[in-house]
Amino acid sequence: MPVYSLIIINKAGGLVYQREFQPGLRKLSTNDYLVLAGTFHGVHAITRSITPKIPNQNAVSVTSSTTQTPTPTTTAAAAAAASPSSTSVLSPSSTSIPTPTPTPTPLSTTSTTTPALPPSTSTPSNATYTYPIPNLPLSGLETLESDKFTLTCFQTLTGTKFLLFTDPQMANIEGIMKTVYELYADYVMKNPFYQLEMPVRCEAFERGVGGFLRARG
Amino acid sequence: MAVYSFYIFDRHAECVYKRRWLPRPASIAGKSRPTSDTPTVANGLATMPSTRTTDDDAKLIFGTVFSLRNMVRKLGGEDDNFVTYRTSQYRLHYYETPTNIKFVMLTDTKSPSMRVALQQIYINLYVEYVVKNPLSPAEHPGGLGVDNELFEQSLEQFVTRVLS
Repeated sequence: MPVYSLIIINKAGGLVYQREFQPGLRKLSTNDYLVLAGTFHGVHAITRSITPKIPNQNAVSVTSSTTQTPTPTTTAAAAAAASPSSTSVLSPSSTSIPTPTPTPTPLSTTSTTTPALPPSTSTPSNATYTYPIPNLPLSGLETLESDKFTLTCFQTLTGTKFLLFTDPQMANIEGIMKTVYELYADYVMKNPFYQLEMPVRCEAFERGVGGFLRARG
Repeated sequence: MAVYSFYIFDRHAECVYKRRWLPRPASIAGKSRPTSDTPTVANGLATMPSTRTTDDDAKLIFGTVFSLRNMVRKLGGEDDNFVTYRTSQYRLHYYETPTNIKFVMLTDTKSPSMRVALQQIYINLYVEYVVKNPLSPAEHPGGLGVDNELFEQSLEQFVTRVLS
């Protein structure tokens, strides 16, 4: 059960490392690998953004709490927010009346002052939808299966992507990925001559990753 | 197991049918486009503006499966097929007929392989009710799409009874 090849893509979508360990996939030209890296980088971002959104049942109560802030701009925005939802019991006239009930003003002010929510939050507090697994952050493509190979993608916190092409029957790809990442951290990132975001040319990394991945062939 | 959505694309990249089982609200208010000063990581981690319609979603999904299919063909050879991919939140299943009609289904991450299910939708529902229907157009230029009550009913039944 071999590991066919390893590709490392930097955070800008450029190919920084490509090596084949076992024959099995077709050989591409260097230019094709560069195109593939860029394409995958784009597709990875799109797969993240087409995550299904599930309507949030609590959305109405959240929007009604924001309507009670007295500033006119927020009431207009909140009225606009409340009007499309047909289940809302609030009429536009009731939003302009300042109600004396204690309101969670810190929450509403932060939601109005910040221009947009941080992109990584999986549960937007004022949104009318939620994601299938709300407590898990959104991610792009993680594994792809075809008839002949499995592609596993691991994205580091800094945005570097590791692509491992393996046999479909292969088990424990996460463990292999972790070791490859450790080798990268040890031999590439700790190499004082390595320039960030540039192609990886480190002999020690070649030896380490070659010895480790060829042994599984 | 939950099915989120289902799409059919014809050989001209036209979305001829789409159906969602957990509909998105018609408009998402109170959300603004991410401005330039929003902290974004440079690797595309920033979310798209959420005011996207279902049509745009279908186009994005087509672009994704088209790119991935071409990538798989390039690496695995012409007889290789793209089957499925998974993210942390959902799973996308893909089936392409020899006539290049593409069936795409989005489900939750725990679902088993839906290749057989998509094949059954093609053979038992699409061919029976759409292809064999003499009134149904062979091509869908400009996008009326599959507008067939029998097909939609039986698809609904298939997804709600067989798959969940």
